[in-house]
Amino acid sequence: MAPEAIIRCNAVAKSYWRGDLEIPVLQGLDLDIPQGGYYALMGPSGSGKTTLLNLIAGIDRPTGGTIEVCGYELNDLDDDQLAGWRSQHVGFIFQNYNLVPVLNAFENIELPLLLTRLSRRERREKVMEALALVNLTDRLENYPRQLSGGQEQRVAIARAIVTDPEIIVADEPTGALDAKNAEEVMALLERLNTDLGKTILMVTHDPKAAHHARIQIHLEKGVLDRTVEMNR
Amino acid sequence: MKFLSIILRSLFRSKRRTILTVLFLAVSIFLVATLQSILATLDGFANNPNSSNRIAVRHKVSLTNMLPLRYADWIRQQSEVDGVMALQWFGGIYKDPSNFFANFAAEPEPIIHIFKEEIAEYSEAEWRDFLRDQNGCIVGEALAKKFAWKVGDVIPLQGTIFPINPRLNLRGIYRSKRSSDEQVLYFHYKLLEEGVPFMKGRVGSFWVRAKHPDDVPRLIERIDRHFGDAVEPTLSETENAFQLAFLKMMGDLSTIIHSITAAVLVAILIVSANTMAMAIRERTTEVAVFRAMGFTSSQMLGILMAEGILLALMGGLSGLGLAWLAAGGLRAGVGTVIPWLTDFTIPVDTMLFCLHVTMGLGILSTFIPAYRVVRRPIVEGLRAL
Repeated sequence: MAPEAIIRCNAVAKSYWRGDLEIPVLQGLDLDIPQGGYYALMGPSGSGKTTLLNLIAGIDRPTGGTIEVCGYELNDLDDDQLAGWRSQHVGFIFQNYNLVPVLNAFENIELPLLLTRLSRRERREKVMEALALVNLTDRLENYPRQLSGGQEQRVAIARAIVTDPEIIVADEPTGALDAKNAEEVMALLERLNTDLGKTILMVTHDPKAAHHARIQIHLEKGVLDRTVEMNR
Repeated sequence: MKFLSIILRSLFRSKRRTILTVLFLAVSIFLVATLQSILATLDGFANNPNSSNRIAVRHKVSLTNMLPLRYADWIRQQSEVDGVMALQWFGGIYKDPSNFFANFAAEPEPIIHIFKEEIAEYSEAEWRDFLRDQNGCIVGEALAKKFAWKVGDVIPLQGTIFPINPRLNLRGIYRSKRSSDEQVLYFHYKLLEEGVPFMKGRVGSFWVRAKHPDDVPRLIERIDRHFGDAVEPTLSETENAFQLAFLKMMGDLSTIIHSITAAVLVAILIVSANTMAMAIRERTTEVAVFRAMGFTSSQMLGILMAEGILLALMGGLSGLGLAWLAAGGLRAGVGTVIPWLTDFTIPVDTMLFCLHVTMGLGILSTFIPAYRVVRRPIVEGLRAL
């Protein structure tokens, strides 16, 4: 039996407005992603892949259609409810890592836990687990400027998983890394998917990175162009 | 409290900018606190609660015109009057003009009665010596300490208004509750009257003590009405009003100080608003990342506002600390030239005013940029690199 869909996009549309000019980015897109799936969103610039990622992650709202993630109809949630939902269900990985420069690795990873009711000791335990997972326990007191790009991205990954969300969204996670570090990051994401069962949705231009996903979704001008299942 | 570490770290993200902003705020609040405290001190001087039943009677034309000494006889006969004293500002210099202090020629007997709140403690023996010696004088303890005078010393005064240079025998030292009330020297009026021909039977002012403060308005009206048609008409007013008029000779200090305060506050607001706007704009992406992770707009607004208020408070408290330290210096330094400032301090009201002002400035300067950044759509914020 196929696993149940954790993400359901139904006729999702998104347009931006530049003055009176409507610019459609997504046009009635239907997509189901099963729990534990590892999907790469691909397509040329302007095809709507990042927009789709943002909508599924609940940091943007569609202009049409519905999105259901982890059993929640996102359109039904107000801004504060959506923020609470994100803190529990989604982990973010950005191209430029987006670590807070004045906080060290430990404190950066701890950030999402500050929104929980966990005690300081419990938070510390979870941060140390996440650091161990990304193999950076010896760097917990280092500030972002004291880390390499690859290490920064691993800290960002630890931050994304520290609250144990079901879904990890990654926007060009290897875009700022050299080949070796990119490969390490991709291997890490693969482990999160296979070992921890995280559902991963990744936007990438990089065919090598996309090759790690189980399914590649190609978008073209805001519509689903084709789906490619990877044989691994 | 969980966010305190984020707030503190963010506050010192750019150490140089934070330190310079705190320094600017500190200097500005120091200026505001000091100026407002000077005003409060002078106001206190002109609103002396001890003087509620004292009246100053002077010539209607100006302070420099003299009144006949015999006016005191009529005033003394009024049923509401408790005491009358001829009092003349002498304006003498002790050795050097920088050694400024208030010195008066006064009818000696009523001094301790008219100024009984100010001349709180004295030796009866010294007082009798003063009354007996027409060249004698009494001084406040703070003034005596300042010049290391002791009873028996000779104090030479050089007249600036009157052509005499009396050599006064220090016969007594009195103590007051306030240091500013101990900055005065009194000597016998007879000495001035006999030494200066044009002062014969004449005086610059009378100090009248009413039996009850409620009698003061009626007494003022009656004195001025009685002498209204005389060749030398009088102008009577409460001692506080007289002091205020005296202070106003320095210009409308209150308006000047309030104007400077307002200008400084506007400058602080502009600089703080600019600093906070820059600091917050630089963090547009970071705020978007926080919100993506699940921080609500209200939480982010709270964190940013706390930073702004904390920054303002650091500046404000440093400024108040500086003002408090400077108050001691001002008492010791300027207080020797301007006796009203010998009791100079930063009043609690002024401190609270400055703290409220700094918190208000922190809120005003942070709210608009913080509100704008947290209302910005997250996806826009993430792109704002």
